[in-house]
Order: sequence, then structure tokens, then C-alpha cells
Amino acid sequence: MKFVLIPVLVAIAALRIWMRHRRRQTDPHSSRPWMTSMTNDVGLVAVREMRERFRGRIFRIGTVFILVVVAAAIIIPVLHNNSKQPPQKVGVVGAFPASLRATIESSAKVVSDTLNFVAEPNAQHARADLRSGRIDLAIVNGSQLVVDRPLNSNNSSVDSQLVLTVAKNVGFTEAVRAAHLSRTQSETLAAAKALPVTSIQPGKKSSFNGTSLIGVILIFIMLSQYNTWILIGVMEEKSSRVIEVLLSTVRPIQLLAGKVLGIGLVALAQASLIVAFALALSKAVGSNLTHGTAPLVLVSTLVWLVLGFAFYSWVYAAAGSMAERQDQVQSLALPLSLPMIFGYVMALTQVSSGSPSALLKVLAYLPPTAPFAMPVLVGFGAATWWQFLSSVLISAVCTVGIARAAATIYRRSILRTGGRVRVREVLSRASR
Amino acid sequence: MANVLHLEGLSRRFGSLTALDDLSFDVPSGHVVGFLGPNGAGKTTTMRAIFGLTDLDAGVVRWNGSVVGQAERRRFGYMPEERGLYPGMLVGEQLTYLGQLHGLTWTDASAASTKWLERLGVADRAKSKVEALSHGNQQRVQLAAALLHNPELLILDEPLAGLDPSGIDAIGDVLAAQARSGCCVIFSSHQLDLVEDLCESVVIIDHGRLMATGGVDELANSGARRLVVRVDGDRSGSWATGVAGVTISEVKGGEVRLVLDDDVDSDALLTLARGAGRLTEFVFERRRLSEVFREAVG
Repeated sequence: MKFVLIPVLVAIAALRIWMRHRRRQTDPHSSRPWMTSMTNDVGLVAVREMRERFRGRIFRIGTVFILVVVAAAIIIPVLHNNSKQPPQKVGVVGAFPASLRATIESSAKVVSDTLNFVAEPNAQHARADLRSGRIDLAIVNGSQLVVDRPLNSNNSSVDSQLVLTVAKNVGFTEAVRAAHLSRTQSETLAAAKALPVTSIQPGKKSSFNGTSLIGVILIFIMLSQYNTWILIGVMEEKSSRVIEVLLSTVRPIQLLAGKVLGIGLVALAQASLIVAFALALSKAVGSNLTHGTAPLVLVSTLVWLVLGFAFYSWVYAAAGSMAERQDQVQSLALPLSLPMIFGYVMALTQVSSGSPSALLKVLAYLPPTAPFAMPVLVGFGAATWWQFLSSVLISAVCTVGIARAAATIYRRSILRTGGRVRVREVLSRASR
Repeated sequence: MANVLHLEGLSRRFGSLTALDDLSFDVPSGHVVGFLGPNGAGKTTTMRAIFGLTDLDAGVVRWNGSVVGQAERRRFGYMPEERGLYPGMLVGEQLTYLGQLHGLTWTDASAASTKWLERLGVADRAKSKVEALSHGNQQRVQLAAALLHNPELLILDEPLAGLDPSGIDAIGDVLAAQARSGCCVIFSSHQLDLVEDLCESVVIIDHGRLMATGGVDELANSGARRLVVRVDGDRSGSWATGVAGVTISEVKGGEVRLVLDDDVDSDALLTLARGAGRLTEFVFERRRLSEVFREAVG
């Protein structure tokens, strides 16, 4: 939980300092206190954004679609793991004493297999049944095990673990009988346990891969979707000219902050719903999504979804203020999405490889790629709390800088119409 | 005390283009003021400057002596030249939202929205999306958005453009009523006859500079005397050609418009006209606003 609590506490402290700083700059002519007016306007804009987005068909259909995909990703592996293996069919040729049958059945229990014994008239018939797949294993005269293909063959239909266990146990039983050991000695040998093996490094968590994979994909989909909403939303306000009406009463930074906050809260609500749904469903069906570091990875995913959205949303908003048509939006969105795609691909590659590379550890501290890399490091157990916090702070500081630059670009370009605005034009003095 | 908008030395350049050049004028409350100028004169830039939508290189905008800030702008109403509302949002909800941004509570904003939609004749479209409305109705909704919060200053950029006569009458009535209630109303238009009918005073600018300002009557009656003469048998006004101090400004349908210098004796002109043929019209007239405008902007 410290991965979550620390960023929250830092964010609250930063907000309090910022509010105190702003309070000193209260406008004496204002009929409402500056801060109240500021927050009211940001809140109004945010509420409008949320209301319009929640009403949108795209949001509702998209949410249902993601929930269905998440449900499938959780349930299918569980069904696969739980699906009962058909009983292994064992052909029996010749003598088959009860003690041997008991040994073979106990061997099957060890490897969680079930057995059906099939009487075979002779060895030749048993071989024919093996070739045709009617039986998986033949025991000839209690002293020979026959399978169709070598056990290391991919085409072997028989559970190799079962055959090896049966072979070992039957051989052991025969050896004990040949040694003429007493019953006590036999039982002592049978109860032999392997020595425990201790590793000096923590083992890989079995639930890691799936959870991190879901987390990385979720972050990528949601950052792409919601930042595109920001981009198009800003562009539409500009192209519909409603922006001039809005900016006649609210400041550009208030409008921008309200839009980012509103869409960000919609994104957080959708992501929280998905994560809560994933956890609840996992618990219900017994998925390993709730085991090991998986819950921590999911919470880390939410934290980095917020941080990633906060970082990218300002960039996309500034870009949206420079566009006036849909085709301009597309040409702006592509270069902006490249860092995201890079971080996403790197994170996916690392999840598949099973161990974090040095590059991933570097990317986890760069704000454009940290939303993808850091949750993966958390999943690997390769990030300490202070490393996590450092990355959060770096991202937060860079987000403040990006937000200031984006607000300047937005203010200077949002009212310029008649074509796509260039960054150079926006930054020149004449464009103020 | 009556409210006054005071523009003081506004200057704004866009690269090599001078949009505003030391522009100063006052707009008193209780008047409908026409803001006139040819295309590119700087009218829209001036209006945007009042709302802080463009930065100024120099100058200041004051409201009752105080520099205009966000708190003052919240009490102003603005209808920009480029009409703009959220196309996919319901009319009623959109107006309520804009009213809230001007500081009204949701209840007050909603009530004001209903009131102004009824007043402007579009109450039945409150639940429609803006994009489903005709141009004229969108214009009415846009005006309602500027009026919701009972503004102290109402600034409208080309509010009459593209409206049919009933729309012009409806908006004209609203502007006059707002002015009578003490609001300071200023609007730009190229329809000078309508401006002459609606406005008590005008401000005329060109190349970002103030060219003329004053009451419509005052401007119409100022300057050289204007005489309209019609003489049967001399439809071109040749009888007036070459008369010292007399300039023929317009000849149209046998009606000759003359501009007289101060020292011209009108009785002598009357005699001259009678000598040219049967005199059917000899009338001194005040200048029309279009003439005031043309003279002001050259």
C-alpha cells in the first residue's frame, strides 16, 4: 500500500502549498474570492465534460467492450486450467496383480491423473491400440511399459509425468521386493522425502505476467482513448467557435484544467470500474489475478494511469488548440503517440521476457514512458518504494512544467483561426 | 451613477499590420451605440480586447474607472462575430451552463434560460440540439447566452447579420429594452440604415483609429448643409454646376443633392434653380448615417 499512499500524500501536500500560494494573489476587485471563482469555474467545466462523456455512446459501448475482454482474459485461463483431463487409458496384457494396480493408481494421483484400465488379449493387440490411440499406455506382464512415441516427443498423447512416475514407482516396488526388506524398512523407504531446496533470490510470482500484461494494455488503451478525447474536444471547441464565448468569462487555464480534470475523472472512473470488476471476477472464479503481487500491480496501474494521463493530456490539449479540422488532428496525434507506443512496446516485450532489462529500468524514470515501465517493474518486484516515489516525483514535476508550456500554447493558439497554427508562430512575440 | 465603458489609448499590432492605433472612446450606459467601420477597421479586435481575448500592446479598458478584469467581464455579455455554441449539446442545458459560468446558481441560470428563450421566441427548442436549429434560431440562442446574467455591458459583433426582418425586429427590441433598463449596449454592423434606426449614438473607426463619435442626430445635423433640388427640364443639375461654394454630391432620378459651403446664400440658389425650369423640390435634409460614415472613413 505504500506505493499508493505515498503519492497520494505527496499530491495532497503539493496541492495545499499551491492553494496557499494562490490565496495570497486573491483579486481584490473580484466579487467572489479568487480561489472560489477559480475552483468553481474549473468544476463547472469538469462537470460538463463528465456529463457529456458519460452520456456518449462511445463511452458506454467502449466500457462494455473492455469489460467483456477483461472477463474473457480472466475466465478463459481458469477454464483451461480447470478443464478435466480425460482419463488415461492403460492397456493391461497378462498378469496384473492387485499390488501393481495399487502402485499405478497411487502414481496417477501424484500427477493428478485418472486412469481407466483396459484388458488387452495380447501384446500385439496392445501395440495396435497404442498406434490407433485407443490406449495411452500398455503394461505387459507387469514388467514392461510400452508407449506409442518417445516421451519427449511432442506427438505423445500420454502424460509423460504419469508414465515416468509409474515406471519409477513400479521399479522401486520391485527393488524393495527383491531386497527382501522388512515391512517397516519398506515403509520407511516408501516415506522418503526429498530435501527442501532454498533459493537466495525471491522467486518469480506466478500471477505476474497476466496481471502486468492486462495493466500495460489497459494503460495504453485508456491513455490513447482519453488523450484523443482531449485533443478532439479542444479542437471542436475551437472549430465550433464556442471557445470565444467561454473565454469571455473564464480564463484559458481554467477551461483547460476543467477539461483535463473532467475527462481524467471519467478515465479514472472507467479504469477503477474495470479493475474492481477484474478483482471481483478473479476472486469469484479463483483466478490467480488476486494472488502474489497482482493486486499491487493493478493499483500501481491505476496510479500510473492517472500520472500518465496528467502528463500527456496537457500535450494533447496544446496540440488540439493548434488544429481546426479533423485531418489536422490526425497529423498532430501521430507524433504525440510515438513515445507512448515506444513505452508500450518495451513494457510488453519485458513482460514476455520474464525479467526487467536495464533499458526498462531507465524508461521507468522518464515521464513519457514511466506509465508503462514502472508498473511492470513493480510486477517484477524490481522497484523499491523509494524508486517508485522518485519516478512519481519526476513525473509530477515534469507534468507541472509541461502544463505551464501547454497553457501558454493553448492561450496563444486557441483563438487563431484560418488554418493549422505552427509552434514557431505561437512562440513568437507577435502571436501574443 | 451611470456605468461607463472607457477605452483609453488601445494599440495592437499583428506583425506589420496595425489593428488598433491609440484608440480611445467612451460608451455610456442607457444607450444603444453602433460601432461602425469598414472591414478590417479593428472593430472585432476592439471587442476582443474588452474581453481580454487579445493582448494589447498599449492602452487600458476601464469600467466605471476600474481596469477591467475577470470579475468585471463576468458581468458583461458578449456575442462574438463567429457564432459559437456546442453543436451537440441541448439548448437549455447549454444556456444554463453558460449562465453558471457567469456566476449564476443552477436554479437562476435555468430560470434565466427559460425566460430568454421565451422572450426570443425559441422556447420550444430548449430540448433540441443546437445543430438542429436554423441559422436564425441559433442566432437568437446566441443572444440569449449573452443576456442570461442580466449584463451591465452588452457587446455584440454583427448581431443582425443574416437575420430576416422578424429576427432583426426581435433582436432590435431586446437591445432597446436592455438599454432602457440601464445596460450599456454596443454592437457592430454594416447595415447602416438599421443602425440609424436602432442607435442613439455611434462610434466610427478606420485603420484602428477613431474617425467620428457622437449622437446620431448630432452627427446627421453636423457638417455642411445639404440641399435636395429637383427641377423639371434639368435632371442633371447643370444649373448648379460652377456655382461657388456648391458641390453636387449625387444625382439620382432627377433629384440633385448639393453640399453647400457656409457662406452660400440659399435664397440665391433658389432663384437660380427657378430660372432653370419648374422647381418641384427644394429641401434641406440632414445627413444619413451612411453619408456620415462615408465622409468619416473617406
